[in-house]
Amino acid sequence: MALLSLALARHVARGLQPLRRLCASGWLREADVDLCLRLLHPALRLNRVFAQVEARRWVADDMLAIELRCNGNARDWRAGQHVQLYLEQDGVRHGRSYSLTRVTTDGRIELAIKRQPGGRLSNRLLDRLAVGEVIELGQAFGDFAWPQEQGAVLLLAAGSGLTPLLGLLRDALARGFAAPVTLLHQVRRQGQQAFAEELQALAARHANLQVRWAFSGEVGGRLTAAQLAALPGEHLLLCGPRGFVEQACGWWCDAGRGGSLQAESFSPLPVLAEADTGEVRLRFARSGQQVSGNGNASLLEQAEASGLRPAHGCRQGICTSCTCLLLAGTVRDLRSGELFAEPNQPIRLCVSAPHGDVEIDL
Amino acid sequence: MTTRLDRELSLAELEAFGQELDALRQRTLADLGEADARYIRRVRAAVRGCCWTGRALLVLGWFPPTWLLGTLLLGLGKILENMELGHNVMHGQYDWMNDPEFAGRQYEWDIVGPADFWRHTHNHVHHTYTNVLGMDDDVGYGVVRLFPEQRWKPFYRWQPLWVTIQALLFQYAVAIQHLRLDKLVKGRISKEEVKPLARRFGAKLVRQWGKDYLAFPLLALLLGANVLAVLSGNLAANLLRNLWTFLVIFCGHFTEKAAVFAPEILEGETRGHWYLRQLRGSSNLSGGSLLHILTGNLSHQIEHHLFPDLPARRYAELAREVRLIAQRYGQHYNCGTLWGQFATVLRRIWIYRLPATGTA
Ligand code: FES
Repeated sequence: MALLSLALARHVARGLQPLRRLCASGWLREADVDLCLRLLHPALRLNRVFAQVEARRWVADDMLAIELRCNGNARDWRAGQHVQLYLEQDGVRHGRSYSLTRVTTDGRIELAIKRQPGGRLSNRLLDRLAVGEVIELGQAFGDFAWPQEQGAVLLLAAGSGLTPLLGLLRDALARGFAAPVTLLHQVRRQGQQAFAEELQALAARHANLQVRWAFSGEVGGRLTAAQLAALPGEHLLLCGPRGFVEQACGWWCDAGRGGSLQAESFSPLPVLAEADTGEVRLRFARSGQQVSGNGNASLLEQAEASGLRPAHGCRQGICTSCTCLLLAGTVRDLRSGELFAEPNQPIRLCVSAPHGDVEIDL
Repeated sequence: MTTRLDRELSLAELEAFGQELDALRQRTLADLGEADARYIRRVRAAVRGCCWTGRALLVLGWFPPTWLLGTLLLGLGKILENMELGHNVMHGQYDWMNDPEFAGRQYEWDIVGPADFWRHTHNHVHHTYTNVLGMDDDVGYGVVRLFPEQRWKPFYRWQPLWVTIQALLFQYAVAIQHLRLDKLVKGRISKEEVKPLARRFGAKLVRQWGKDYLAFPLLALLLGANVLAVLSGNLAANLLRNLWTFLVIFCGHFTEKAAVFAPEILEGETRGHWYLRQLRGSSNLSGGSLLHILTGNLSHQIEHHLFPDLPARRYAELAREVRLIAQRYGQHYNCGTLWGQFATVLRRIWIYRLPATGTA
């Protein structure tokens, strides 16, 4: 049905600058322009990033790599960054964040998606996302990067923490990075070693690369401080669930190894117990502030107390002036007591109290 | 004239009343989903369909059937965009969809008033201080005296005339509300405060006029069509919308049985009391589903004021329960036909143009 091929549509997208300007200044409605563009190709949009699924392959028992081609609106994406993938379910556009395992100049990207037990979105993606389907993505974010300095690199990943590291590793090797690189991937059990064949092939081709696996489900399989101490490397890149990352960071620092350390973790933020209204951590993403707060007062009050000036009006949940995105964590509606934990959904700051650590787009 | 026979509620009753409405709200929230999302997308499609077909027909010139149909369709599209789409989306009714196209904080509608102005004057001021004298500017918009409790000024003597002008230019009245010109005249705010707002209003005005009265007529010229037919069609469509929105909105809070409140009511106001004020200050219009859609469901003004952030398509089903709750608590549920309610609005406008009546 598409009038243009995606490759051609990408060129068209580049030439839409005047239209973008007209929309930005309010002369045209972006949604209307998008509607017309979609007739040319289902993925073509003025500003929003849409991509078509070009291939899918299993890279572990529970991980699927999908190759996508973007519509030309992806700006300066790099491997190792994350991107939101949107999927509509029951009328709600849910977003989940995945790492870019590959980015090429012709607009192709690769994402790897791990099955989450009970995860509605990941299961839908793994089982039913078909080649040819068009999906929406957000702009990429994150500043995980290959170390600039000379020296051996140690990559430490647990579970799907492998994905950003793999992206960086592929890039570095392709650029001819020659110092020693060691990658340790900890997974729960056999069969979960994602991209194992490719990693072995890379190791065979690049003498400076060493790849190892650890199985946390087996006795003595979990990484220990002693094992970490034995692994070579000056610069550490670390990615995995929060517990894993915090522990490994601790060991690395205690051992007093110099070099650099970059870490990213992805577990859900801790949630308060029902009766507990104790101390929580609040992160205001846009202003880059992190403060401690409590589970009683509204986020609006707490943001103001820490010096921010969020937009607001009624302060009682009527006017929606204070609507803001909940990026991560759980909040409690002060009126109904209902808990709300869907990432990237709008909440009203004046009637939401943190119920555990939260990150909001403020 | 405000002859409401409401029972006064004790504090305990007020609390229970609020809880019942909260529970109702919660039930509806939990039930939102696919059907609501589909509905608002359909409304948007209908808006586009009406506006684009209407504009296409206008290009055919003065031929009466096409000019008339084109104008009506364009007017209809603008009414739908204004009410069922713009008004409701900007209330955040569809924020839960997380679709940028229906994000309440970002939506910009097709009228001369910048959406941000309206989000303040309407979502914040009007919906928080509904019908509180001196707080809610929507009570008469500063040019009309509708309740005996409002202090009379000689200016009100000609208010039937002011109202007529306001009805004809309703979208401009809504737009300049945010500029607080009355306060500027009285010297209570400075020119400097108004200037940036006036500039933003100007920019939006230029865009709206540029679109309706310049770009489309020019397009017609390029296509060799009749410029005047297009121009007049656009003008008539905007006029149509002005009159319709005026009609609906004045029937929402200024009918015979609508109550106004003294500012003291706000002191220590509980949630139950806030609900009660919304119920007493609003009035519904009865009619078929076409009326409800055309009014953006503001025909269910009571439900809209109780639950401004619930998708308006739910108001009809909510109304059944709200009516029962109101009955149970001995509150008058103000509902009537469009013309019946409007007649009482006109009477208010006529009666309160003079000072003495109210004190009788
Ligand atoms: S300030 Fe009005 S809803 Fe939060």
